[in-house]
Amino acid sequence: MSDPDDLWHPVALSTAVPAGVTRAVILDGQEIVLWRGADGATHAWEDRCPHRGMRLSYGFVRGSALNCLYHGWEYEGSSRCVRIPAHPDLDVPKTIKARSYALVEAGGLVWINLAGDAAPAAPSIDAGAPLISVAVDRPIADLRAFLRATSTYPAVIREDIFDGVALLLTLHPVGPAKTMLHALTIGGSDLPAARRSYAAAVRGLRDEAETVAKVA
Amino acid sequence: MTKTSDQASLDQWYVLGAIGDFPAGTTKPTRLLGADLEVRRGPGGAFEIAELGRNGTLPVDLRYGHLWTSLGSPGRPIFALPENDEPDRRAVYCGGVHVRASGLRVVENFLDLAHFPYVHTEILGTESMPEVARYQVEHREEVDEVWATKCTFFQPKAAAAADGGQISQYMYRVTSPFHVMLYKTPPTAPNRWDVIALFVQPVEEDYSIAHPFMLVIDEVSSDADLIAFQQMIFLQDRIVLENQRPRLLPLAPGRETPTRGDLSSVIYRRWLKEKGVRFGVEEPAHYAHA
Repeated sequence: MSDPDDLWHPVALSTAVPAGVTRAVILDGQEIVLWRGADGATHAWEDRCPHRGMRLSYGFVRGSALNCLYHGWEYEGSSRCVRIPAHPDLDVPKTIKARSYALVEAGGLVWINLAGDAAPAAPSIDAGAPLISVAVDRPIADLRAFLRATSTYPAVIREDIFDGVALLLTLHPVGPAKTMLHALTIGGSDLPAARRSYAAAVRGLRDEAETVAKVA
Repeated sequence: MTKTSDQASLDQWYVLGAIGDFPAGTTKPTRLLGADLEVRRGPGGAFEIAELGRNGTLPVDLRYGHLWTSLGSPGRPIFALPENDEPDRRAVYCGGVHVRASGLRVVENFLDLAHFPYVHTEILGTESMPEVARYQVEHREEVDEVWATKCTFFQPKAAAAADGGQISQYMYRVTSPFHVMLYKTPPTAPNRWDVIALFVQPVEEDYSIAHPFMLVIDEVSSDADLIAFQQMIFLQDRIVLENQRPRLLPLAPGRETPTRGDLSSVIYRRWLKEKGVRFGVEEPAHYAHA
């Protein structure tokens, strides 16, 4: 893979991060927490509280702040720590911050860029309806070959699965042998039974990708 | 992994379990500091501990109801625990708890007051009273132990026998890098101290078995109640311990962010560094890229 540090990676469906929750994702071995506050803003930070290294994805969202599970340190959206409960009167030094990454939401996906402020312009893709994310036990290069991806990384792949329904398939690398596949639909029905059949088609692709012989 | 070369950690006594964990006439494999051990107990109850691949046997000490050994030359006896000899105390063994974390992180968490309201919510602390008051920490050089004293914390349910909140008084004592205990005012005898010890068996750098041991003043609770309470607390701690990053304890300045309430951790880490302890410590190379 090319240098991942200046690429935008689709790491989750937007619907997977509703307000008030945290979600742990791994991008190329790096542990990241996604979370959305009551104000609707989504954030991507290193999954690690600077105090004692506790994973922030175990923390809890209150209002528009993320609180660490271990000692309740409260971080506002800017990633600055604004409250240390053990010392209620302490004016928390501005230097205490979680490490944050650039994030945009586009086309029903959450995209992040590890380059932070130096990130290039955000991706622009057609809006899709978030469907399902599945983990695939395959390297991302194998999966791209299996899906006959032609566009540049990170691939956005269309596959017609049913009449009038296309799948947008986007990939992000988890580790050397594992990839997350995020699927969205364009066209088709909103009915639950239809959505279930589309999701089953994605799982079918996953199973096929995992069982076919390794693609060169 | 193979046995560590960290001499500071090798030259210590370690607990391999409560004596009752090893029935007479049995052989049990276990691990310590990356080495494979075999604990053999004869039909008459005598212990023999061997390190696989090495001739001879390891030292055996039976103290405080536990089996102790060492892979090196400790140079001093196992620490004194006079409360063990007080006849009205109950000795309670909780069973070893396996934790995927550095044993040093396990000890440090045991020394921590500030997590009570968040990890042991409505038991050892409550969110409305999270403040850690000033306490004192010292390295007692004559015994080479770290002590934290004058610790206080409001606790909704301080122990199995508690039926209401109390401001608990605590003292903490670290007798070796992997052995820690606390002294705490019991709900039933305000003029005495309950003793709760945590004997950590460091198996791998990031894998430990914690052996909790209690010497308590409590004529009310059953053993099962006392064990259940301690296990509940420890399993809550394990969620944190297995999700700290890095898994190994960082000793380099700037890697983590201590505050005033973390004074015992600061002194503990300084003491580990002075001793040259490396087993369970993050190597600088691990974060050079960060």
